[in-house]
Amino acid sequence: MTNSEKTPGVPDKIPETKISDAEKIKLAEERADRVERATKMAEERARAAKRKAASFESAASGDYGYAPEPTKTLTYYNTLQRFRTRVYKTFIVIFLTLISLVVLYPLIYAVSAAFSPGRSISATSIIPFGGGFTTKHFVRLFSETNYLLWFKNTLIISAGTSLSTVLVCSLAAYVFSRFRFVFKKSIMLALLILQIFPSFIGMIAIYVILLRINGLDSLWGMVLIYLAGNIPYNTWLVKSYMDSIPRAYDEAARLDGASSARTFFSIILPQAKPIITFLAIVSFTGPWMEFIFAKLILRSNENQTLAVGLFSFVTDRKNEFTLFCAGALIVAIPFVAFFVITQKVLVSSLAGAGVKE
Amino acid sequence: MFTLDRNGSSRKKIFLASLLFMGLAHLVFLKQYIKGAIFAFIEIVVLVTSPFIVRIIGGMITLGEPKPGLTVFEKDHSMFMLIDGIIVLAVLFIFVSLYAISVRGALSTYKEFCALGQLPSYKKIISEMSTKAFPVAALSPLVVLILFFVVVPLVFSASVAFTNYSSPDHIPPNNTVDWVGLDNFKTMFGGDITWTGALGRVAAWTLIWATAATVTCYAGGMLMAVIMHETKLKISPIFRTLFILPYAVPAVVSMLVWQNLLNGSFGTINRTLIELGLMTQETTIPWLSDPTLAKFTVVLINLWAGFPYFMLLTMGSMTAISKETFEAARIDGASRLQVFKSITLPSVIYQTMPLIIMSFTHNINNFGAIFFLTGGNPVVADSTTTSAKGTDIVVTWIYNLTLNLQKYNYAAVLAVCIFVVLAPFAIFNFRRTKSFKEGEL
Repeated sequence: MTNSEKTPGVPDKIPETKISDAEKIKLAEERADRVERATKMAEERARAAKRKAASFESAASGDYGYAPEPTKTLTYYNTLQRFRTRVYKTFIVIFLTLISLVVLYPLIYAVSAAFSPGRSISATSIIPFGGGFTTKHFVRLFSETNYLLWFKNTLIISAGTSLSTVLVCSLAAYVFSRFRFVFKKSIMLALLILQIFPSFIGMIAIYVILLRINGLDSLWGMVLIYLAGNIPYNTWLVKSYMDSIPRAYDEAARLDGASSARTFFSIILPQAKPIITFLAIVSFTGPWMEFIFAKLILRSNENQTLAVGLFSFVTDRKNEFTLFCAGALIVAIPFVAFFVITQKVLVSSLAGAGVKE
Repeated sequence: MFTLDRNGSSRKKIFLASLLFMGLAHLVFLKQYIKGAIFAFIEIVVLVTSPFIVRIIGGMITLGEPKPGLTVFEKDHSMFMLIDGIIVLAVLFIFVSLYAISVRGALSTYKEFCALGQLPSYKKIISEMSTKAFPVAALSPLVVLILFFVVVPLVFSASVAFTNYSSPDHIPPNNTVDWVGLDNFKTMFGGDITWTGALGRVAAWTLIWATAATVTCYAGGMLMAVIMHETKLKISPIFRTLFILPYAVPAVVSMLVWQNLLNGSFGTINRTLIELGLMTQETTIPWLSDPTLAKFTVVLINLWAGFPYFMLLTMGSMTAISKETFEAARIDGASRLQVFKSITLPSVIYQTMPLIIMSFTHNINNFGAIFFLTGGNPVVADSTTTSAKGTDIVVTWIYNLTLNLQKYNYAAVLAVCIFVVLAPFAIFNFRRTKSFKEGEL
């Protein structure tokens, strides 16, 4: 019997003194009594500890059916717990359902407007899909407006921006990550400070510069603007990622005689695939909804983009809300599908963006 | 005279020669003929075009003379002169940088000579140039684009703040523009009661807006993430997918839909409320046409559009907290609230801090959320003079000033203000980057 396991309240030895038998008996009885009391106390404690542990376990696992000792009190306790959890969960489900109704309301309404007869918002029924069903707006989009042309222009601009951004930013990021050269620090600091300005602050100057290089009302002019606007932030982003790729890889490639360009394209670029994909997607989606420069630079109707075209449907002069919804629906579907499919990746990459640097 | 000493005494000679004429040291002392010839050629080009350069820069200083007798095409166009001047300055900046590079290159070659006792062989120069060619080629598109499409426009914008480039009296090519010093700043900051009042109003609203938008979206997103993380419902993924939708739909689309739904007289929301008997035709809620209510509506709709981003973000960073931490807290007897308060919240905030700051700066510049939802409306007392309406933030005001009112000078003053306000945030974010901490920069 080690010291710690000792029953509390009982001394190890009864002092041996010269006492009478009656006294001896009395002492022995007292001793037995004490032992009994102590044992009871210990048992109670163990029971309490067990109960506590059980309740934690059930709280953690969500299983309230487990009772260590099926006493009346404990069953009652568990039923109460289970009931409370049920109420709590029901409440949460109701709450989440209400929120999703608010979240979905405008979207459902917009979808229904795309299929309802009538032109302006005042002509649509207040109940989604309550005013009849028609696809005439989609027919009008393709027959009476330049929708298809706008779609094509936007696609060209986005693809161009995405490709050039990936190429320019990843090359520059590689150089910033792996080479030492004069003015490296100044250029990197400049990029960081330039990155806070929305590019339309300098829109008048950009307009004049494009005028000088004959790039007004042209798609490549737009690509140049978007590309330049993308560079500062994204170069930093890709550079930070490339810093985390071990240098041993490119050193090995160099020892094997690979040139810088070869090392970049066959070693670094594949390693940086996640961030490159992210960059490609972000720079592809940006131009779809950019409005300011598209409005300023692309003057002719044939060269317009979707954002400007769609916006023109709902200005004061032309109140074609249903046509707008039909056009918006076609653009929004691929966006939504993409986000829903990639939501898991999105969660981790957004968290990654937070943890990095 | 053209020989070099190994003991470092010829350093001065090299330095002066390379400074005197770009590439001279390379040609005369270091026998790097190709490199020297290229440098010398660049300097010759600059020298040949120098009268032109001087003329352009002179034009930038004078901004042209009014020439009443001439036709529009022959008059001085002040703004073209200003931009051309800035572009030439940018080119000169590149030239000076190249000059610095050539001087440093010559000196480092000489240092090598002192150490090795011989100039680098022809073969070595070629191989060195080919390794250096890659970074130069890779960086030049970036430098050129940034210089001409980001730096030049921003410098132009900042310069315009010191001119009187504005409608109706100073719009080229009919009239010239002049430098006016700090006059625009004086007008905006106290000189003119209308403009100062508008600036104060818009600046205050911009800050309130950015703070409210960031805080509501962050709190809303975190609430959703925690609820779904804690309850572990089987149907949470469905809810999560639904909640992502506002983030997935492009802002132009969703904001324009909201604008129509919230329209005071024929918007769906007010019509629905009338049908439900909650109000009558006369008592409709002016969601977007009452200056105060419109501000609340804008923040609320932005919450609708912005909470999914922070929900995803919080979910992502909550999965990064180790499960052991939660279990340990549970065993110690912590309640749900305690776990949230002392474990989830601090670690999520710590991880998402830079993104909160980025979101704040993004909201200061959040053109789309305001422009497509309200267009800056409703009109307030000073709107006809200043074009700043009830819900306009600084960036949408800049847009109005530029495209509607053509008060480019005041728009430029606002751009400078944005720089002053946002620069500290950029520096803060810079100081906590890994490369800064590791002393690389």
